[in-house]
Amino acid sequence: MAEESNPVYKNQAYGQYRELLYSEYADGKFEKSVAYHGESDRVTLQQAWDLFNDRIEAARQKVKAGKASPILYYMEKTLVTPMDLSMHAGIMVWRVKRHLKPAVFKRLGEKTLQKYAAAFNITTDQLKNVD
Amino acid sequence: MEKDNLMIDYKHRQAGHCESGATSNLFNFYGVELSEPMAFGIGNGLYFSYLPFLKLQYAPMISFRNLPNTVFHRSMKYLDVDATVIKKFKDQKESMAALDRNLEKGIPTGMQVGVFNLTFFPPEYRMHYNMHNLVAYGREGNDYWVSDTVMELPQRISSEDLQRVRWAKGVFAPKGKMYWINTVRKDLDIKSAVEKGIRKTVYEMIKIPFPLIGVKGIHWLAKDLKKWQKKHGNETAAFYLGQIIRMSEDFGTGGAGFRYIYGAFLKEAGEKFDNPDLITASKLMGNAANHWREFTYMGARNCKNRSKPEEDYGKLSDMLHEIADMEKEVYVKLDKIKI
Repeated sequence: MAEESNPVYKNQAYGQYRELLYSEYADGKFEKSVAYHGESDRVTLQQAWDLFNDRIEAARQKVKAGKASPILYYMEKTLVTPMDLSMHAGIMVWRVKRHLKPAVFKRLGEKTLQKYAAAFNITTDQLKNVD
Repeated sequence: MEKDNLMIDYKHRQAGHCESGATSNLFNFYGVELSEPMAFGIGNGLYFSYLPFLKLQYAPMISFRNLPNTVFHRSMKYLDVDATVIKKFKDQKESMAALDRNLEKGIPTGMQVGVFNLTFFPPEYRMHYNMHNLVAYGREGNDYWVSDTVMELPQRISSEDLQRVRWAKGVFAPKGKMYWINTVRKDLDIKSAVEKGIRKTVYEMIKIPFPLIGVKGIHWLAKDLKKWQKKHGNETAAFYLGQIIRMSEDFGTGGAGFRYIYGAFLKEAGEKFDNPDLITASKLMGNAANHWREFTYMGARNCKNRSKPEEDYGKLSDMLHEIADMEKEVYVKLDKIKI
């Protein structure tokens, strides 16, 4: 089994992998089939990712304009809310929300930055600059 | 420290649902042929809950499945199998060491993981969803071989990545949870297990006195669905509708929010114990599942054209009410069945 190839999904083309689906026929027979995702699945996935990408782009613009701290951008990029982020990083929600302000973010200590960086799985240098 | 390579002769079979697939594969490893629908039905994975006050990726939480690990726990309990579940570890290193010890003993080990950092998963599915399951069965250098039943082939994942997904944080954090089977008796009492599984599912779907769970939850969702357009506007209404469809079709459900798998279970049990009532129930369940699928097809049209909905939300809502009534008929029938 070890020599089986290990497919890597590099590009974000929707519905690239096959999944196992069950379906029922008129005579009450249930059948298994391995198939690519159907039209409705692809549409809803595309819809979700369109929304996420819009939010990420909006956050990037906001950070570039100096209206929000880079934490907002990385938060949107990793698809989390302040509530989730507070759980991931171990920082209270009201503090996370406060750190979204650029002025507050600039004064943050190395320890807190480290916590955020670990939660986003990046380095603190990356955290400070948004590309 | 250099670790030896080892590989357990574990057969990977693709399945519709991650956890029932893993359970059925583990049974198969110990020489008991238990199909995926059987594992799903006995472990009563079927469920419905609608929790509008909780948000998952910006949309209300809708779940067609039971809490994580219910399928494994309950199928072990009802079939009276000697299994071990370690709910959580204190230390991350210790959790990986425990996995190594198990593999050295030749025990394929199931684990609860988060999906977001799972390297072999298709990127479009990587959302914060901590209820995924996979089974580790081999080690090669620094990598582990895992069987993820949603994927067609077994996958390899580095030990750092595996540790990260096992310690994913957030709602339902896995905290390194792992489980395995110790021994399986040859004379399993499948009949009584099926009965217990069906009783529990019926209880959860129609008898829980809480309006957001089970058939009542579907009715509540249908009522809310009607209001979304007026309350949130076209875009958001379409996105919330998309969440229902994603939850029922996309995330490894075997189609129509597990209703097809459950129908297949009723059918298989009916044939095994020669019970015509179960076969009738399976047909009704299949019918309900077909209606779920039709609902998702109709709904997806609204998601495609987001600013101008093609289908009327009132009509979709009526469809959901109809589906809820259909499902209720099945559960009422199952409630009276003697196996």
